Amino acid sequence: MLIQYVLIFVAGWLLTVFLRNHGTTRASAGAKICFLGFVVFSVFAVLRPGDISALANALGVGRGTDLLVYAIAAGFAFMSLHTYLRFKELQLRQAQLARAVALRDAREPQTPGDSVVDAEVP
Amino acid sequence: MYDDTWLIVPVYNEEPVIEQVIRETLESFPNIVCVDDGSRDASAERVARTGAHLVRHPINLGQGAALQTGIEYARSRPGARYFVTFDADGQHQVADVRRMLGRLREGSADMVVGTRFRSSARHIPRSKRLLLRTVVALSPRLRKLRLTDAHNGLRVFGRTVADTMHITCNGMGHASEIVAMAAKNGWAIVEEPVTILYTEYSMAKGQSLMNGVNILFENLVAGARR
Repeated sequence: MLIQYVLIFVAGWLLTVFLRNHGTTRASAGAKICFLGFVVFSVFAVLRPGDISALANALGVGRGTDLLVYAIAAGFAFMSLHTYLRFKELQLRQAQLARAVALRDAREPQTPGDSVVDAEVP
Repeated sequence: MYDDTWLIVPVYNEEPVIEQVIRETLESFPNIVCVDDGSRDASAERVARTGAHLVRHPINLGQGAALQTGIEYARSRPGARYFVTFDADGQHQVADVRRMLGRLREGSADMVVGTRFRSSARHIPRSKRLLLRTVVALSPRLRKLRLTDAHNGLRVFGRTVADTMHITCNGMGHASEIVAMAAKNGWAIVEEPVTILYTEYSMAKGQSLMNGVNILFENLVAGARR
């Protein structure tokens, strides 16, 4: 069915856009708008299940429940990726902080080239 | 003779071997900086007994982060012109480093990396050989740069490379990251066949096959983001 190709294409396109722009103001605003849309869609689905089914039929994805499942799966995938990238960023900052501390407290050998037997490590 | 050369040695839980490795290496290379990556054992104390410089991460960050710290320390030292990344577990040979430095000083390359695959690969354990070959096969960059061994920890480079080096993959993905940096900055990389001593100790500590999956994923995401 056509909708399947459309869904896969859109998912791939969103992923690329998301990966390239992660961390920018635009991307974070986009994510918020998507989330808001998702909430509205969910409320609508609860209040008017019939309409969702009709929409699903029009798109060619069977029942309204299936459409909702697609939306949730996509949301979850993006959430996971977002968390992963966020962790990476935090890790990098943590590394920079730890590096600054390490370099500040660097120890030179007391007599360069010679062994220092009784050295104490702080 | 090697006053302008700095060896960067990331150290993580290497207490049984580190002191001997550093002492032996110091006989040839007077400038060594050990980056203790938050070891839980007495590695740092062992390093402090030798004549090596010691930089300690307050927490464990990973080998890539340790290398970056070591490079930043070494490049801030007066007179540092050549840099070598060297493993702490005794699997790298000083003779190989000398040869690689010789090639770098000829000036035909910006970076010389060790390879286990130019000569006979017989001494490499089979599972490891498979992992390393897969990484090369899946990386178009490595093939373009004609590199046969992506994850060899033995590298020699000069000032320009050290000054631009900025490793962000804290873990084991840094090897591919360095290759990506080379491709981006147009560094000329050549390979030098080296011998890796696979002792029982280094085998137990070495990268497992499953870690290859982690590396591939990390590089995939990083590749998509560039």
